[in-house]
Amino acid sequence: MSAFHKIIATVKSAIERSPRTAPPAHPASPGVIVPVTHDARRAELISQFARELEAVGGAFLGIFSPDEVRARTVALARDIGAHTAAIGAGVTLDTAAVARALEQAGIAVIRPGASGDAERASYRERLAGCDLGIVEANAGIAATGTLAVIGTSASPNSLTLLPPANLIIVNADRMRADLAAAVSAIGAETFTTKRVALITGPSRTADIEKMIVLGVHGPRKLYALAIWPNEV
Amino acid sequence: MAAAKPDPIPDFLETSRKGVADADLRRKLENSTGRHLEHVAHMRAEFPGYDGERDVARRIKEDAIGRLDELLIELKQKLEANGCTVFVAADAAEARDYIIKIARKASARHVVKGKSMTTEEIDLNPALQAAGMEVVETDLGEYIVQLRRERPSHIITPAIHLSKEDIGQLFADQLGIAYTAEPEALTAAARERLRSIFLGADLGVTGVNFAIAETGTLVLIENEGNGRLTSTLPETFIAVMGIEKVIPKLADLSHFLEILARTGTGQKLTTYTNFISGPRREGELDGPRAMHVVILDNGRSAMLADPVMREALYCLRCGACLNVCPVYRRIGGHAYNSPYPGPIGSIVSPNLFGSAAAKLPFASTLCGACRDICPVKIDIPRILLHLRWKETQAQPPTKWPADARRTRAGVRRFARMARHPRTLRLLSRIGGWMLRPFARDRYLRRMPGPFKNWTRWGRDFPAPGARRRKPRGEG
Repeated sequence: MSAFHKIIATVKSAIERSPRTAPPAHPASPGVIVPVTHDARRAELISQFARELEAVGGAFLGIFSPDEVRARTVALARDIGAHTAAIGAGVTLDTAAVARALEQAGIAVIRPGASGDAERASYRERLAGCDLGIVEANAGIAATGTLAVIGTSASPNSLTLLPPANLIIVNADRMRADLAAAVSAIGAETFTTKRVALITGPSRTADIEKMIVLGVHGPRKLYALAIWPNEV
Repeated sequence: MAAAKPDPIPDFLETSRKGVADADLRRKLENSTGRHLEHVAHMRAEFPGYDGERDVARRIKEDAIGRLDELLIELKQKLEANGCTVFVAADAAEARDYIIKIARKASARHVVKGKSMTTEEIDLNPALQAAGMEVVETDLGEYIVQLRRERPSHIITPAIHLSKEDIGQLFADQLGIAYTAEPEALTAAARERLRSIFLGADLGVTGVNFAIAETGTLVLIENEGNGRLTSTLPETFIAVMGIEKVIPKLADLSHFLEILARTGTGQKLTTYTNFISGPRREGELDGPRAMHVVILDNGRSAMLADPVMREALYCLRCGACLNVCPVYRRIGGHAYNSPYPGPIGSIVSPNLFGSAAAKLPFASTLCGACRDICPVKIDIPRILLHLRWKETQAQPPTKWPADARRTRAGVRRFARMARHPRTLRLLSRIGGWMLRPFARDRYLRRMPGPFKNWTRWGRDFPAPGARRRKPRGEG
């Protein structure tokens, strides 16, 4: 008997099963994000999201049409005096266009993509040295001001980890009321195959006399903006 | 930690006495724990679903622990399908040996650690250092206590026993920065130091908050981002978890997350909730090349077998019971001589560390504040009584007849005296005068002769003639 089975046997004999009660039933996760199409509901969720995000030290920049996002991103980069920005592939947004707009404004853009070992190290160094990391979230959570960011080869996790400031873009369609709804919308399949991070505000600590300090290991500044879809 | 432990009984009494005498420590503890409890009260008040979620979370844990064998098999299969290597360790030594083997195979020299109580439990750091590796704790609080060569004194706020001035002095001495007591500046100094260590690390080790059997996903929650960095940057990543961390379904998770941060840190959600299912995939930039999961028993299955102890396995390690405990708030975490201090520590430590912690269940007033604040409603006072009973059973039986005879004779003598109030007053004055030389700080710590049984177990007796003072703190 292997060590693993020995421990399982120990656990099994320790349990001394009582008559089994059926485990609570769960609705199946759809794994597809069904858009929130009702305008008033969308606006309500976003305003709650904005309030909660600000409460944890993040900054909400507002709601923009896909075209306006480019100009707003460039304006933010200028405001914080960014010289370089790193940008990941979008979920609903064409981030290549945002990258071009940043370059036209004279800001150097780092794009992920390399995957060799040597390239990995140099990419991380550049990322740690850049001024702004930009990604699009897969979903938002209104009740807590949270952004669900999924790491992919075209939008790696370190984008929301190494730069000192982050801009996270979220499509208004993808705003969910609470954690349970967001987890269910993202779906089990994604959690199994991808790295998911729920991000609620800038990195923080309260380890010194329980006083809150922002930006301990991750970004010190977190900006978020929402895209209003179905522009007519 | 020293290999040979001194006799734990006087040890606890001694260390707790030291804690009580340290007025400075008490000020720091009351300051921090008080602030935490305010946040928690606020969170509970503004979230009407709080109590309902506690019940749901507890039911999920009951279900999960009740079929832990099945869930562990499922978890192992799913993690392996996701590309992880899983090792189940029966005890601390097996877990340490495995981790060192992996570290050696990866030729690791620089190890970064995310906050993990389980690795404290198995004393991993000294073992890695003995194997020639440099180990750096990256959670700010853990980093601070590591620089001081101390153990964490709290499971959530490791440096709760230190003031910002203490930390300023420490950083000035050890990091060579100019002295400052500004938390912002101290944090920035640690960030800078740790960032370069992260970029050069080749092995990352963290704990685990939840392991979802359905998907084979580990969930790590944190505020600083060091857990994310530790599990993302190094080429090899090892997660260490107790067997009780497994939950059945992805949909179960939100019930825990809705209450855990609210109780643990007074937040709605922690800054980062990380879901890690496996090593990086082809073409990805981030994540380790190899990921190992160490699942540790180390006495937990024995807790499972004990019907009263079992619910201690529901613990989420939120740390709230420490902050609310009148004993912890007086003596601080180090007095417990265990990586798990406070009420929860007093019930799990005897099961994990045996006789070294056998007296900890007595370190409680049984006031029940821990049970009230516990997010999964663990009946800690009941378990404390159970463990006291077990410990007493293990002691040689009291000689009742002789003791009872002596007690009866004493009471009879007292009754005779009490009939003569003037004699009683005179005698008690003489007695008080005789006892006075034994008093320290208005208390008798050790009484002579037939009275020694009163003080033998650390019960102090108010010195005669001393006015009783109202205890400070809770009114």
